[in-house]
Amino acid sequence: MNFEAVIGLEIHVEMKTKSKMFSSSPNGFSREPNTQVTPFDMAYPGTMPVVNKAAVINAIRVANALHMTIDRLIRFDRKNYFYSDLPKGFQITQQFHPIGREGYLDILDRDGKVKRIGIERIHMEEDTCKQLHFASYSLLDYNRAGVPLIEIVSHPEMRSGTEAMHYVEAIRNIVVYTLTSDGKMEEGSLRCDVNVSLRPFGSDKFGTKVEIKNLNSTKNIESALDYEIARQSAILLSGGQVQQETRRYDEASGKTVLMRVKTDAVDYKYFPEPNITPIRISEEFVRDAIDTCPELYDSKKERYVSLGLSPVDAAIILDNLAMSQYFDKALGDGKYAKTVSNLLIVEVNGYLNKNGLTIEQFPLQPEILYLLAKEQEGGFTHKQVVDMFHYCVENEGAKPEDAINALHIAKQSSDDSLVLSFVTAVLDANPQSIADFKAGKDRAQGFLVGQVMKMAKGKVNPGAVAKVMAEELKKR
Amino acid sequence: MKEINLDVLKDAAHRLLFDMSDEEYETLLSEFAVLTKQMETIGKIEGLEDYEPMTFPFECETTYLREDEPTTPLSREEALANAGSTLDGEIKLPKVVG
Amino acid sequence: MNYLDLSIRDIHQALVEKKVTPLELTKEALKRAKENKDNCFEMILEEEALAFASTLTEPEADNLLWGIPYLAKDNFSTKGLPTTASSNILVGYKPLYDATVIAKLKEKKAVLIGKTTLDELAMGGTGTTGHLGITYNPYDPKHERMIGGSSCGSAAAMAAGIVPFALGSDTGDSVRKPASYGGVIGVKPTWGRISRYGLFPFAPSLDHVGYFTRYAEDAAVLLEALSGRDVMDSTSSVKDVDAYVAESEKELVSPRIAVLDDIVESIRDNAIRDAFLDSLKKLEEAGAMINHIRFGHDLLESIYATYIVISCAEATSNDANLDGIKFGPYYEGKTYQEVMSQARTKGFSELIKRRFVIGSFALMRENQDVLFLRAQKNRAKIVERTNQILADNDFIFVPAAPTVAPKLGATSDKLSDEYLIADNHLALGNFAGLPSITMPLGYENGLPFGVNFMGRAFEESKLLSICRTFEKITGICGDYYGKEGK
Repeated sequence: MNFEAVIGLEIHVEMKTKSKMFSSSPNGFSREPNTQVTPFDMAYPGTMPVVNKAAVINAIRVANALHMTIDRLIRFDRKNYFYSDLPKGFQITQQFHPIGREGYLDILDRDGKVKRIGIERIHMEEDTCKQLHFASYSLLDYNRAGVPLIEIVSHPEMRSGTEAMHYVEAIRNIVVYTLTSDGKMEEGSLRCDVNVSLRPFGSDKFGTKVEIKNLNSTKNIESALDYEIARQSAILLSGGQVQQETRRYDEASGKTVLMRVKTDAVDYKYFPEPNITPIRISEEFVRDAIDTCPELYDSKKERYVSLGLSPVDAAIILDNLAMSQYFDKALGDGKYAKTVSNLLIVEVNGYLNKNGLTIEQFPLQPEILYLLAKEQEGGFTHKQVVDMFHYCVENEGAKPEDAINALHIAKQSSDDSLVLSFVTAVLDANPQSIADFKAGKDRAQGFLVGQVMKMAKGKVNPGAVAKVMAEELKKR
Repeated sequence: MKEINLDVLKDAAHRLLFDMSDEEYETLLSEFAVLTKQMETIGKIEGLEDYEPMTFPFECETTYLREDEPTTPLSREEALANAGSTLDGEIKLPKVVG
Repeated sequence: MNYLDLSIRDIHQALVEKKVTPLELTKEALKRAKENKDNCFEMILEEEALAFASTLTEPEADNLLWGIPYLAKDNFSTKGLPTTASSNILVGYKPLYDATVIAKLKEKKAVLIGKTTLDELAMGGTGTTGHLGITYNPYDPKHERMIGGSSCGSAAAMAAGIVPFALGSDTGDSVRKPASYGGVIGVKPTWGRISRYGLFPFAPSLDHVGYFTRYAEDAAVLLEALSGRDVMDSTSSVKDVDAYVAESEKELVSPRIAVLDDIVESIRDNAIRDAFLDSLKKLEEAGAMINHIRFGHDLLESIYATYIVISCAEATSNDANLDGIKFGPYYEGKTYQEVMSQARTKGFSELIKRRFVIGSFALMRENQDVLFLRAQKNRAKIVERTNQILADNDFIFVPAAPTVAPKLGATSDKLSDEYLIADNHLALGNFAGLPSITMPLGYENGLPFGVNFMGRAFEESKLLSICRTFEKITGICGDYYGKEGK
């Protein structure tokens, strides 16, 4: 029997707002433990939640990017449970009225065909505090307590690990490009819980669900699901039953490992949060949040391609938000997009890699990159422009023209009469080479061009020389 | 509704992370008997299904959202001043498993 | 005559004229506090109060609360001062911030002289369940009677004449019932009128900051000082704050007063019922139009169950933060669950635990429909009926309680009409979030009892005005037990 995998994802995204979801405590990363805390975050009695406007704007933007219906009335609920990392003994979330309902996302399936994945809900909530585990004790850091989260819940409409991976990549692109989140799985700012079950092809019933946790890269999602689907398949084929359980992905072995068997579902005793009265958001507010939303990944990609970049190059640049922001500035009027992108992908990246820097630390102003591209398209050779690039990187504030002066770089001429005069002189001095060429030795032409470049001390454009040389050789 | 007996009440108390004396569970059981009778007074009310569950005492929609501007947080000393078990600037608990 | 016994305006006048100083007032209040034997205090802030009062040397003529001593229930967060909510689970806890009302009174330079006892975590109506034991009714020096709760310490201190005003909180009737037993004024304004930031929550959808005063005008003075939007409390109203003192001075022209006959009829104490009916006549003589209305027996009878289910459900969630980890006594354990369980088992009294179990039970998935949601729906129905009556009437007027302060240990039949209706109807004001004030009416065998006026949401000016009229009718405001010349 053949089985079909039924995969649904719950994604939690940490927002990079300046303050927390319900308190004005700073929301910063990697600071000293317990220094980004107000009494609310530690659940001091009498403190009350106040909703962060930026978190709502982010949620609206992501919901809009996912084509969801946005609720104009913001409401919150309490999810009640006890855990060491939950300061209040409840989490404020949006169980009954999520800010966004029923949307979709188009992704590529395993065969590269477009597939639409339905999204059930997106809601806002608050993060728990961070636990550090040691041999005999655990430490609690409340800096993370109250950090705004967006949870995005898909319908169980994915059928392979590859689809799930593409889905997460697409969600990550949305949260990163709306400037909602860093979207870094490895740092936990984007966290995935995957549910997977198997059923015979053609069946519309659901099999027993297994939840997989600890997935810290998109690649791991694919690998974990591939493994898990094979595991469940083997159980079912041998007549066994899949257990309802939570498993984690073990990167080293490439396997999923049992964490715990699920007993009856936890009762979270949800009820509406009485300390936040419903908040009406106006049409204008929603429209403004959407209109001022930074350009999304897909739109940028389309734009880059329309400017002449290959889809592969566009994807390389867009893989890094800061890189694309740099590129957007370096584009200027967009005339030299392709050349700018080449310089960025090859030269800038090369420099960053060599020096262990990120694009944010790159010293060269993007406007200079534009000017360099302009020089290249204006007649300087690529090699010359690369020299200028390095000069500008190493000399703060230097412009291409400063590099030209300092490095005595001269533009190669394509002036036909000048080129012709050199070509004629070289041909006159090398009758043997002409004879060789006529005898079918193509290499002779290259030698002659080389002689011209040597005589002209690089001042002529090799392309123009080659063209004129070919014409003149024919005449001899 | 869940049937109410001592085991159910004990389980409910344990899930709330406390315990009570056996007498107290008995008292609680008798309180539930009274409460169930009192809940019957609500059962007598007609047309209740036509009403929406009320959380807020009156219509009180707002439009206020807090600007995303951080304020000065507590110092670490303040944040931990009331905690009974700390280590190296963090709250210390027995090892949390699971 | 002692200046401390006057109305806030009169004390203020004396302060401005420098006939008395804040330090003298504070010393007198502290003396009375220390002499009191009714177990009103979690803490008397002698040192702090004296130090602060001695800095108050230049009277502020436009600030009626300047230099006035007061008390706060110990469930208001006070920065750096222990706040226990009369529960062992919070012993040693020192808040890091001031509740908004505490901050406002500090700003006004009123002098906090102590924190008062309450029923543990404000859950209870007897004033007997706090971790320091029973708070007694000053009107019964034999200590046989309760003052009521949960704002027992503030109510008893007011009944003993220790301060001109005291803060309390009111979730079902926790200010207004003990006010009746203590012969003082108890105010609970509209939900959202006074910020709850810093008030330890019991059931936020029903919780109100309230207070006690001895004079009706003082009630207006306090409301003006404490009201207003607070960005730290998302539920606080953005509506403008009225000039309550000036507005409540205006006499109402033929106010329409609804008397709920089904409540009055369920009262078996003839003295209270007769005094109430007599006060109706006097109100009529003063120009009021009295409408006798039946609220609906079944609906009134359902108030208590509705209240218990909603308040306990919210409470079990609100108090889930009390686990000994971030604050409060910490107990060692092998697991975090053990640490939390120890703190909660040792920290909460049995009564509180029982209420938490009830609340948690009401919220369970399989019970929500028949318990929590049904109670919330019934709340909607009760509120609709209340507002219907107030659509045609300016006020609802009823006896605040069916009896004078009950004897301690006396059990009431929790299924009787008198209990279910006349002892719990003040929760109507919490369900509907309406402003509601208890006024002293008279004495039975030397024990005070009161009446309650409830008005429309945010119409506190009118409500205070009828209370000022009523104060003139009874002529007993300003009384307290042991007052000179009484």
